[in-house]
Amino acid sequence: MRETKISYDRVMKYVALAAIIAFVVLLMLFMSGSSRPFDEVRADVGESLAASGLEEQDSAAFRRNFGLNAADYAGVAYYSAESTISASEVLLIRIKSDDQIREITDAIDKRIESRKNDFGDYLPEQAGLLENAKQSVRGAYVFYAVSPDADAYLEAFNSSL
Amino acid sequence: MLFSSITFLFMFLPVVLAVYYIAPYKIKNIVLLLASLFFYAWGEPVYVILMVLSIVFNYFCGRDICSYADDERRARLSMAFAVVVNLLILGFFKYYGFLLDTVNAVFPVNISYRELPLPVGISFYTFQALSYILDIYRKKAEPQKNILYFALYISMFPQLIAGPIIRYTDIEGQLRRRKISASKIGQGAMLFITGLAKKAVLANTAGAVFEGISENPVGSLSALTAWIGAFSYAFQIYYDFSGYSDMALGLGKMFGFEFQKNFDYPYISKSVTEFWRRWHISLSSWFREYVYIPLGGSRCSVSRNIFNLMVVWTLTGMWHGAAWNFIAWGFYYGVILVLEKYVWGASLDEMPPVVRHIYAGIIVLVGWVFFFSPSLGYSLRYLLAMIGGGAGLADAHGVFLLYTHWLLYLLAAAGASPLGNRLIHRIIRLFRGRTLRTVAASAVYMGIFLMAVAFLVTDTFNPFLYFRF
Repeated sequence: MRETKISYDRVMKYVALAAIIAFVVLLMLFMSGSSRPFDEVRADVGESLAASGLEEQDSAAFRRNFGLNAADYAGVAYYSAESTISASEVLLIRIKSDDQIREITDAIDKRIESRKNDFGDYLPEQAGLLENAKQSVRGAYVFYAVSPDADAYLEAFNSSL
Repeated sequence: MLFSSITFLFMFLPVVLAVYYIAPYKIKNIVLLLASLFFYAWGEPVYVILMVLSIVFNYFCGRDICSYADDERRARLSMAFAVVVNLLILGFFKYYGFLLDTVNAVFPVNISYRELPLPVGISFYTFQALSYILDIYRKKAEPQKNILYFALYISMFPQLIAGPIIRYTDIEGQLRRRKISASKIGQGAMLFITGLAKKAVLANTAGAVFEGISENPVGSLSALTAWIGAFSYAFQIYYDFSGYSDMALGLGKMFGFEFQKNFDYPYISKSVTEFWRRWHISLSSWFREYVYIPLGGSRCSVSRNIFNLMVVWTLTGMWHGAAWNFIAWGFYYGVILVLEKYVWGASLDEMPPVVRHIYAGIIVLVGWVFFFSPSLGYSLRYLLAMIGGGAGLADAHGVFLLYTHWLLYLLAAAGASPLGNRLIHRIIRLFRGRTLRTVAASAVYMGIFLMAVAFLVTDTFNPFLYFRF
């Protein structure tokens, strides 16, 4: 009887280890970021936006719209529509340390809420885009897109890692 | 979720405390475990799975080691397996990128790799799991029969994210039986409020000064500004980390647990050896118990003892982060401690206390420069600025910072010694009678709490520094 119990503990520790390995593999496949330099990822994402009509904005626009300082991060690329009646925008950030992820995702959530209030009922299709905004944190990269083509931009971001 | 967030203070904590106190004694551990998993999942919705798997793995490893009670060789193999797996998991998440970056820097290759964020608290809970495994192997503890109790030991939210590192033998009995009383809840609340004020008022304010200074190119810093930067960081990291530890100890008390203190006024130390007896006590004692003593400790030849000290302190540096500056920081302390033990320790003891305080203070400040620097080169340039090699001895920026922040430094210095605590208790003792004193203590701590909350609501997101370790 005792032998059976001992075997059970031993088997379970290997099962747990196998589960840990499987979990790490899944993380690497679906959640990991990349050590690729920011400029390379930015170039890939920028290429996917070529026909979007979105213009790259400066750090002042980034600060104004997200309340964050671009100099705090390893890299920031912010694109938005020139038209004030469009909610479309794309943001790519490479962080310097993991503790910056929360402040960025909080700022993005705030931005979405504020834009929803801006568009409200009078431009429901733009408010709808905000409802379907794409956000992704992959390692040191944070990506955010609001656009009818947000899925394609997200795909371009994922492929660039 | 941060202890110093409004969500934690006004939603999570009151609800968890209420449910915990109402719940029958038998299910209190389950309530606390569920709250802890929720707390961790709030910030780490994916990595909570890793922590749960780690709990399951270590639980069964503990039982497996114990099953070899009559077979020392197999018990050792089983223990080594558990230790290696734990270290591999920690190493993978913490050092894998650093290792490949080092390979890329040393060899003419450019290996790009997949990056994963560091799971918050992994260094702390892995060390707790290791203490459990090693104590079972050394027959200092019995394996926990109830996996829920073991899960609570690993994941208990008051100390999960940034310690203190609780040794299993210190808490084993409390997991089964502990006393919850009104006076313990009161003491816990006072400790928690003290820690909150340390973080919200002193650490964040000193941190803002340091951030302001470190944004400038290091070559443009005068010696005065560089010293103010180093002092600000020293106060920031002390109040940030000891504040977190106070909050952890206070929360522990509110839930009926007694944790060992993690800080004991380290900045009043008169030697570096004394400093490390007072700073992050749980980490130092972990390394002493599980690395230094097994290596032979000090009961060996001088050369072997020096080797042991250097190993322990290099590992301590590495534990803090995957970067060369942390390794340099650990190595620096290893060298200083060896020198104190074998070269100038005896002479130091004969010097006037004020000289010893200054000596320890300078060594610790230089250590923080290595610690906060993004690279080794930066730390050397910063140290150069501290001796006037940047923008001279003093400038208007430094004088302005001193003029506008003298009160902060005065309060920070008082609070870093027993003086601050003594002052608060002297104010309370001005009132005669138990009831009056209780009312006075409540008023004083409520005032401190409101002040801390006022700082928090006007502040930006300010995570604890030790979250990144």
